[in-house]
Amino acid sequence: MFRNTREGLALALPAAIFSTLLFILPVGILLSEAFRQGGSWSVQGYIDFFASPLNRTVFLRTLKLGVLVAGSAAIIGYAAAFCIVNLSPKARGRVFGMVVLPLMISPVARTYAWIVILGRTGIVNEAITGLGLSDTPIRLLFTETAVYLGLLQLFLPLMIISLVSAMENIPRDVIPAARVLGASWFAVFFKVILPLTKEGLVIGGTLVFTGALTAYITPAILGGSKVLMLETLLYQRVNVSNDFVSAGVIAMILIVMSFTANLLLKRIATTRS
Amino acid sequence: MKTALSIMLLGCTASTAAMAQDTLTISVYSFAQDEYRAALYKPFEEICGCELVIETGNSVERMAKIEANAAEPVIDMAVISTQDALSLARKDLIAPLDSAKLSNFDKLYQAAQDPIGDHMAVGYTFYASSIVYRSDLVDITSWGDLLGDEVAGQVALPNITGTQGPPTLMMLGKALDHGDDFKPVISTIGEKADDIVTFYSRSSELVQLMNQQEVIAAPVGRFAWSSFKDAGLPFAWAEPAEGQAGGMNVMVMTKNNGNEELAYQFMDYWLSTEVQTKVAEMLVDSPANKEVTVSDEIADNLTYGADVIEALNILDPATILDQREDWVDQWNTEVIR
Repeated sequence: MFRNTREGLALALPAAIFSTLLFILPVGILLSEAFRQGGSWSVQGYIDFFASPLNRTVFLRTLKLGVLVAGSAAIIGYAAAFCIVNLSPKARGRVFGMVVLPLMISPVARTYAWIVILGRTGIVNEAITGLGLSDTPIRLLFTETAVYLGLLQLFLPLMIISLVSAMENIPRDVIPAARVLGASWFAVFFKVILPLTKEGLVIGGTLVFTGALTAYITPAILGGSKVLMLETLLYQRVNVSNDFVSAGVIAMILIVMSFTANLLLKRIATTRS
Repeated sequence: MKTALSIMLLGCTASTAAMAQDTLTISVYSFAQDEYRAALYKPFEEICGCELVIETGNSVERMAKIEANAAEPVIDMAVISTQDALSLARKDLIAPLDSAKLSNFDKLYQAAQDPIGDHMAVGYTFYASSIVYRSDLVDITSWGDLLGDEVAGQVALPNITGTQGPPTLMMLGKALDHGDDFKPVISTIGEKADDIVTFYSRSSELVQLMNQQEVIAAPVGRFAWSSFKDAGLPFAWAEPAEGQAGGMNVMVMTKNNGNEELAYQFMDYWLSTEVQTKVAEMLVDSPANKEVTVSDEIADNLTYGADVIEALNILDPATILDQREDWVDQWNTEVIR
């Protein structure tokens, strides 16, 4: 494409300088703090972090909610993406626009909408008490359920977009051919659709899982201090305790979790094919 | 040419020195900056002919900045809580204050004159803390009611790491007959954790929760009362049998900042009857100057008057500093889980 490698390098240079100076370097310095203890290199920060029962609970809760949100997004995303790709081009454009629309709205506004929906006087509780399912409103806010719903709503569009892109690349005759040859819908999904869309699932899964791990506003508003996640714990460490070592440890754990999820998803996708 | 250059350099140095001398850097809480600008900053700049540089942020950030620049202070004076002031004093980051340089010193309530000892700080505002509640749904007569069945599932408490956390533990300790020992209080809160909607960090968060009817009772500082009073719901300010908790914010001078005279001038102006009255009338801070007089309507929103201030249960800042880490550990194990 280029006459020589120098041209290619010259084009990449501004982005490389930008990333190095404004991202890799400061983040690297910050994260290296997590390996410093009393002026020398140490992993004591990590040992101390996992020695605390609260930190272990927060770590497992973050992992659990990340997996649940990514898993749910994959299930709902596949159904939605399958419907979207089978629509007429005009309807597909409209529906796809509706999927993308929430991404254009601030996460703060989207999360506050959940307070209105899940509150004691919100729509859900009005329906529950109206239908006689409970005499008094039930607590939905400041629970793991509220955080799960908020995160799922926040990141589902990313999964749908990834899966729609992947499904659009499936040859049109493949699914009808499988059906004609007697494959059940179950077999069609696991033996045809899933292997052919694995790249989309890996991208969508990584985006949703990483997003759920690193989201701050949604867990902070819908979970508060009763449902701490790693990101809200990190904020507390910096803003309440001024403890940058702990914050660095949490940041490193989040990065490792994100990379591990990506590698794991790639591995699963490779194994399936 | 050489002479001209020297004159220019000399001019530059002189003007830089003048600029440095005429600038006072203060570190303050972020809230009500428009009101402070009108009542305090702007009039002071006109009087001193100097420029105020305002640094805002939460307490942790501001304390960290003072500590990080200890060798060459960038902050000249700061307003913080008593426990934060004591923490800075123990780290030898602030200088003792010479009350002779504060003409308004004698006008201050006794409790504000030397709140952390060794004249390391001077109080500029008091605040009471009690329980705000929905008077149409519940009646609150004791701090212990916060953990009672009547408000179970509809009560919020302040987080232990916030300013309101330790005073709430103190008052719950009185109500539950645990005296000054907070351990059994934290354990009791842990047992009742499922009945508590959330542990809030900022009063604005609580205002929102109570307006959405998510919470019907919670402890809060009097400074937030005006936000509830005009909300349209029947909120009331409790007068519990155990009394009200209280706190104080103070002014401190950073050590060796080289700008002490201007800092004293600013502190003195802030403590003056004129400024304390203006700030009180704007419902920003309750006065520490006992000569301030305000209307009954204004007083109703503030922590105002000798009787109210003397009756406040103020937690010793040294106790907070010495025991906070243990409280937070126990809180994280038994309450947050």
